[in-house]
Amino acid sequence: MSGGHPLRLGFIPLNDAAAMIVAQETGLFAAEGLEVELSREVSWATIRDKVAFGALDGAHILAPLALAMTLGVAGGEPAPVIAPFAMALNGPAITLASRLAVVSGDGRRADGLARLIARRRQEGASPITLAVVFPFSTHNYLLRDWLAAAGIDPDRDVRLTVAPPPRMTELLTGGVVEGFCVTEPWDTAAVAAGAGVVAVRGSQLWPRTPDKVFGVAAAWSQRNPERLEAILRALIRAAAWADAAENRRDLAVILAQPRYVGADADIIEASLADMVFHAGGANAPLPVHAGWLLSQMMRWGHVPPQTDIPAAATRVYRPDLFQAALAQLGLPPADTPQVLEGYSGSGPFALAEARTEAARAAMSRIADA
Amino acid sequence: MRVLVVDPDSARAALVAEGLAGVEPLEVRHAVAFNETEAALFEPDVIVVASDSPDRDTIDNLREATSANPRPVVMFVDRSEPGVAEQAVLAGVSAYMVDGLSAARVRPVLEVAMTRFQLMNQLRQDLHKARADLASRKTVERAKALLMAERGLPEDQAYRLLRKLSMDTGRPLGAVAADLLAFAGVLKGDDT
Repeated sequence: MSGGHPLRLGFIPLNDAAAMIVAQETGLFAAEGLEVELSREVSWATIRDKVAFGALDGAHILAPLALAMTLGVAGGEPAPVIAPFAMALNGPAITLASRLAVVSGDGRRADGLARLIARRRQEGASPITLAVVFPFSTHNYLLRDWLAAAGIDPDRDVRLTVAPPPRMTELLTGGVVEGFCVTEPWDTAAVAAGAGVVAVRGSQLWPRTPDKVFGVAAAWSQRNPERLEAILRALIRAAAWADAAENRRDLAVILAQPRYVGADADIIEASLADMVFHAGGANAPLPVHAGWLLSQMMRWGHVPPQTDIPAAATRVYRPDLFQAALAQLGLPPADTPQVLEGYSGSGPFALAEARTEAARAAMSRIADA
Repeated sequence: MRVLVVDPDSARAALVAEGLAGVEPLEVRHAVAFNETEAALFEPDVIVVASDSPDRDTIDNLREATSANPRPVVMFVDRSEPGVAEQAVLAGVSAYMVDGLSAARVRPVLEVAMTRFQLMNQLRQDLHKARADLASRKTVERAKALLMAERGLPEDQAYRLLRKLSMDTGRPLGAVAADLLAFAGVLKGDDT
């Protein structure tokens, strides 16, 4: 072990930081002999910089951001990050302003929205503005995929902007944006405020939607293998606690505190309904998830078409470290599916097909142009 | 000189104005929260943002997205994080960070940041242009030929399609053409 200082772990106020917060609040970090300081960060850019330069030892981080940092496309030099733990699944949803609700119809398709956009263009009205939490986020790619499936070009037909998650409701109410894709509880909070309606949940588009991971600098993990194992054991136990139905109310109350998520406990409790924190191997960082996200990044020109997706996915996502932590806890190994069903219109998705998937999607955009 | 200070606390904006006293013309605008539309109308020469501002992601994104009209961003960080500031500046990560702030330091800090930003921006544009010029013409010809062959388009329409894609995505024509060729290669199976 190295370093006498307490571990500094960063998070953004969102439901899927639960495993980290619960591990701290219920003493699971302490039970592993870890002294941890949680740091509530205000922006993903801060998390990126602090993980890259060692001001944080680890963080709750957007999976696409961890991939982008490693590949050196997130701004600045490459900063290799590893992801040995998936924080939760099914966190994101797409929320539209209440007045657009009439056009959403069956939320899985954005056809109604496409008609509205076409009409507004004919009338010469300004394009609709939609917000995501960061360029390198599941939210950006989920929203883009949803729009594109209805023939809406996200770069041409709408304005995409970036806003911090806790501010989404206020932006929707103020008419600054007309919709957004964000992780809970901020969708449910916007609905509760009467500002918007959930058009579609991530899980309806990408079943068991991957979102945040626990990420550490690759160099840090090499210097601190035992501390990393201890963190993973604590996170696994905390995630299992968070997933248990009988603990959901307590979880909501913990998260509601201003120093964590800082939203109403009842709203948080309602917003947890669709989320999976542990069950069914939810914490296993699946390279096929990383591959899917990378294929979406490539599709939209966020990583070069030459990128070796399977190599990048398996370099960042480390199910081996996760399985080792399970074994240390005496738990059976988690299933690690190699194929994603229901993600791609062209059938099951496997890591080896990531570039083909990206190429097909990118070329179909040209066919539509 | 137009300066936009994004900071929940108005003290820093006052300090910036004080430090820039004597600069003519000068307009320092303070905003508690960043508003993209207002910022676009104001057209600041430099944006000053507190490192603990939740608007950082928005500004960070704006800098990357609006490559046609980038602006220097000066960030003030707490003294508790000197390592981050130094290393971020060295790596040119996302901002020019300054450890602490006093009125006397405002002007040199902003001037250095703006000069450095302009220099870097010029270098980046030159490099980008040199690279693009080198690769672009041949690549665009090949992409055009591909669209003509695969989609049966006449030459002018193939070119218009490429240009439209370039405008839609805000990326150079050469880059769009290169991606198109790469993706077509992947789909054909003549993968590298």
